[in-house]
Formats: sequence, C-alpha cells, structure tokens
Amino acid sequence: MESMGSTGSIMRAAGEPRVPSAPSAGTTLTAATAAAVRAPFTARARRDLLFCLAEVPLSLAVFAFPLVLSGLLLTVRLLANGTSPSTPASGGRPPGVAPGLLGGLVILLAVVIILPRAARGLGVLHRRLAASVLGQQVAAPPPPRRGRGVLGRPAAMLRDGPGWRAAAYLLVKLPVLVVEAYAVFFAAVGLANLTYPFWWPLFRNHPPGTALQPVTVLTPFGSFGVASFAGTWAAFAAGAAMVLAAPWVARAGAAADVWLMRGMLGPGRLAQRVADLEQSRALAVEDSAATLRRLERDLHDGAQIRLATLAMNLGLAREKLSADADPQVRELVDAAHQGAKDALADLRNLARGIHPPALDHGLPDALATLAAGSAVPVTLSTALPRRPAPAIETMAYFCAAELLANAAKHSHAHQVTVDVAEQGPSLVLSVGDDGVGGADPARGSGLSGLAQRARTVDGQVDVVSPPGGPTRVTVTLPMRA
Amino acid sequence: MTASPPAQPSPPQRAEAAPRPLRVVIAEDAALFREGLARLLADRGHQVVAGVGDADALLAAVDRHRPDVAVADIRMPPTHTDEGLRAAIELRRDHPGTGVLVLSQYIETRYAARLLEGNAAGVGYLLKDRVADVAEFADALSRVAAGGTALDPEVVGQLVRATRHVQGIATLTPRERDVLALMAEGRSNAGIAAALVVSAGVVEKHVASIFAKLGLPASEADNRRVLAVLRYLRT
Repeated sequence: MESMGSTGSIMRAAGEPRVPSAPSAGTTLTAATAAAVRAPFTARARRDLLFCLAEVPLSLAVFAFPLVLSGLLLTVRLLANGTSPSTPASGGRPPGVAPGLLGGLVILLAVVIILPRAARGLGVLHRRLAASVLGQQVAAPPPPRRGRGVLGRPAAMLRDGPGWRAAAYLLVKLPVLVVEAYAVFFAAVGLANLTYPFWWPLFRNHPPGTALQPVTVLTPFGSFGVASFAGTWAAFAAGAAMVLAAPWVARAGAAADVWLMRGMLGPGRLAQRVADLEQSRALAVEDSAATLRRLERDLHDGAQIRLATLAMNLGLAREKLSADADPQVRELVDAAHQGAKDALADLRNLARGIHPPALDHGLPDALATLAAGSAVPVTLSTALPRRPAPAIETMAYFCAAELLANAAKHSHAHQVTVDVAEQGPSLVLSVGDDGVGGADPARGSGLSGLAQRARTVDGQVDVVSPPGGPTRVTVTLPMRA
Repeated sequence: MTASPPAQPSPPQRAEAAPRPLRVVIAEDAALFREGLARLLADRGHQVVAGVGDADALLAAVDRHRPDVAVADIRMPPTHTDEGLRAAIELRRDHPGTGVLVLSQYIETRYAARLLEGNAAGVGYLLKDRVADVAEFADALSRVAAGGTALDPEVVGQLVRATRHVQGIATLTPRERDVLALMAEGRSNAGIAAALVVSAGVVEKHVASIFAKLGLPASEADNRRVLAVLRYLRT
C-alpha cells in the first residue's frame, strides 16, 4: 500500500491483481484476508464510520469557543474605539481604554466561568452519540452542584470538576479527531476513486490528440494525476485500498474516542464507585422491603388462616361438648381455644410489625390508622402528591410509629401533630408534641436507632426538645431509596 | 353460653330477635377458612347458598341468590388489598336488604369509616378471630342480617382512644364506659345486659345516664343509636 502514491504505473502493477481477486477471494485467501475484505460491509463498520462522520463536526464545535471569545473581544474593542472620539479631546485615550480593558476582562472571566458548563453540554452530546450509534454507554457524571448567591453560583461553576474534565476531553481528543476525519476521508474519497474507470469512457472520449489536463486522484499520501483510461485503474486500486482500510481507521478512531470518553466524560472512578454503591444499596433496601411484604403476605395467607380456622373449629368443638362432658376435657378444650386465639393475636401483631397492611394504600392511609390507634390524640396532615418508594413509605411509617409511641410513653403530651409532606426530592415527616421535652438522642430512647435507620437511605433525623417542651422531631428521607 | 347445646340458639341471641335460619353468601379466598365457616353456619341452622373466592363472584352470587347476609373477607384476589371492602360498599348501595359482614385479620379504622359512611344499618366489621367465639359471632351475624350493626371491639377501642371528647368520656363511670363501648359495637340493651351479666333494667338506666352526660339525643332505634355514639366518638 505504501507504493500507491508514487506513480501511476506502479500503482497499476500493484493494484490490478487485487481488483479481480476481490470477488473470487473466498477460495484462495486466508480467513483473515476474507474478514478484511468483508469488513467494509459489516454493520459494525457502518456504525464506526457513522460515528466518525458525526464526531467530526461535533468535535469542531469546540473551536466555537475561541471564535466567540475573540469576536466578543473585538466587539468590545470596537465599541471602546468608537466611543473615544466622542470623549473630550483633552481626556485622551484613558477613558476609552479603561472600559475596553475592563469589558474584555469581564468577558474573559464570564467565558472561563461558563466553559465547564458548556463543555458538560458538549460532553452530553458526545456521550449520546456513542450510546446511540455505537451502543457504548458512558455513565453520566454527577450533576453540577449549585452554588448560592451572587458569588457562590459562579464559584460553584468554576469548581465543577467533571465540567473541566469535559473541557479537557474536547482538547485532548483533537488527535483522535484527526483519525476520525481520516476514516471519513478514506471512505468517501475511496468510494469516489472507485468510480474513475466507469465514468472515464463516458466523458473522456475526445478525438485522439486532444490535449487534456490530467484528472487529480486524492489518496492519503498525496495526489496524482490520471491522464489515460489505464491510469483510472490506478485510481480504482487506490480507492479499493482506501475503502478496505476505512473500517479499521474508523474502528481505531471510535475505540480511542470511547476510551477517552470513559476516562474524561464519565463520572470518574470514585464517583462511579459511589454511584454503584448507592445503586446497590437502594436495591438492597427495596429488596428487603419487598421481602418483608412477601413475608407478611405469606403469614396472612398461611399461618394466620390456619390458626383462625383452628380457633374456629375449637370454638365449635367447645360448644358441642355436652353439659355432662368430662370437666378435664372441657378444661383442655377451653385452654386450646384460648391458646389459639392468643396465638392469633400475637401473630397479628407480629405481622403488623413486619409490614403494616394499611401501607398498601399509601402512607396517608397507614398513618391515619396509626393515628387512630394512638393513645394521645393526633392531628395528622399529609401532602404527598406522589407516592414515595415502598421502602421509604415503610421507613416513614415505622418512624412515625416509634415517635408516636415515644410521645405517648415519655412526653406526657396531650396533643401530637404528625405532618408528612414532599419537599423537593425529600419526604419530610415531622412529629411534634406539647409534652415535657428533654428528649435526647444521645441517651438511647429509640431516637438514635431511628437516626441510624434513616441513614441507610441518606436520611436524617433532627430533634428539637428543650427541657419543658415542646418536642419536634423531623425525619427527612429521600423519596426514592 | 358455655353449656349451650348444639344447633340451639344461645340465650342472648334469643333476647336479640327471633332467631331465624339465614341465607348466607360467603366470600373468602382461603378455602380452608371458607369451608370451616360454612360448616359452622350450617351447624347453627343457617343455609350457605354460595361460597366464593373473590369480589366479582361475591357480587354475582348476591345478585343471583339475594341472601339475608353476605360475609366477605377484605383481602381477596387479585390484588389482596381491599377488594372485599369495596365489594361490600357496593353491596350496601345496591342491595340494602342484604346485610354485609366484613371479616379481616386486621382492623383498620379507615376501613370502618368507609364501610359505615353515615349509615350503620345492616353492616358489620369484625376480626376473623371473633369467629372463634361461635355464639357471639352467630349473634353478630343475626344482628347484621336483621339490619343491626356489629363493630369489632378493637374498632370501638380505637375510636374511644382517639376521640377528642376526652372530658365527656371522663365523666362516665367505668361501668358506663363499658356500656358505651358495647353500644358502639352495635349491641341492643338485651345484648349488653347479657354481655355484662346484669338485668336489662340496669342497662337501660346506664344508657339513659350516658346519653344525658354526653348530651346525645335520647335513645332511639338500635342502629340510629350506634350511629349517634359513633359520630360522637369520631368527632
């Protein structure tokens, strides 16, 4: 292939045997060569090429930055110059230079601040392209943190690590862009070169002796002129070689690009690890909630039904014992009957502790039932436009149950309020009472256990309970585990 | 009660109303419990005209058989949440002549409220455990079939605990509180007398005293009285 670009005659010698060999290759060529010949016609080759084709303009978008920047600076300069003549002649240049310099600095600063965010945006496009064309999923980086205030917001944008990495990607990928552009060039120009022998006879049928400019043929290693029909076969050979090479160049470019994307547009190793752990933890939390629910259902449909039937049959047996039955038998049946009923009550409490059935209808219903059973009067208000994840509902329910029990046991309260609301991404459960206060999470009392449970989903528990009351405990949980 | 011979109504039942054999439809997805319940009812002289396993079949069976009373489990297929309750509410609307007794392994105050919804006639809500006390269960069933009320003591207990009329309740003597709870369960004076092992006259005196202390309108028909008491407790 190296010899292709030098002269037409060598090209012909090297190229001609290959042309007829391509269709009839199967029998003589080795499997590897066959694969090489087939490569341009595979779906993968098409995908790689398409990816390279799309990446070229997308990557060039990075040059919009300096263009926009210099354009803006130029505008400011022109404006500054334009205003200087209108200033009094005695003032000289300073009044014009100062705003121009200042404006330039401000724009430079603004561009630097916006750069990471804009690079993120471009990064999203690159990742989407890889996902949709190549099927290569590159995980998204963590979302940018939002700063607060006039200074905080730009500061947060400046400190955006993933944004700067995305900007670095746009620069570092420029060599890869060259490879990708070459792949597009190989494919497009190679196809064009293949056509030379076919149109030559149609357009170059001038009378003999007509002097014509040679037609230029482009190859990756330079161009050569073709002046005769025989020469077009050299162009054809060069085209065939380029078309055969194109998939490999495209594959190399695409692979290098995806590798860069994973390293620089992805979430970063630590962030990825955190994301993985969060995901597996959420799965574990959801799974345990589902397991508990299934367990309750199995109890309900199995042991509880059997016990209820047993108690019923014992009740019937007890009625059927005739008046003169052996008192010992009567006593035994009575005891069995009572035992079955007690076991049923125990089992019901157990099942309720595993998964309260009222939760099937959502947190508001379950909390209403809970409030109805409370020893201290409860005022309940719920504002949940969406249903939280089941595991979160269960957690909020048991937190409320624990807090209500605490209020009844320790606070001597006359009135308890329970408020549940969705606030942004969080579910906020707030339980307040008018009792004696002095609840301290550090001294056991179930509050520390509550906080521990909330932490398993990155939730938190805030206790405000001055001595003398009132007490307010606020549990914040994510809507999804 | 302890020595009542088989297939004979127990004394409190006789005091309630003339015991008559009832035509019953049972809806319960656990076959074991359904069969047991059917045997128990047959044993007491009632006729189980249909035993079904889900809410749709319950509605169809009531449409066809027009029973005196339907006994329905709350959790039934397909979702195992509150199918039975919804069917019961539908039955109460479409078949006022059929009493509806809802059974459940849990008591949810919300369910009770949805079931009663301003009308306590011919409705019951009991824990499945109560079936084990055969005579009392049969009594409750007859009451519901006759247009009365049968609320589980646990529902009543929750209502009493959660009521805001703490001071009103505090003026009652312990005995009067017992009578109030039994009234809320839907029992008649005779039923209350039997449960507390006192004479009907004593109960009447307690009832009058309760109504006077709580400022409720004087006692009327049983199911209206239940409603008045429940409304008092719920607000």
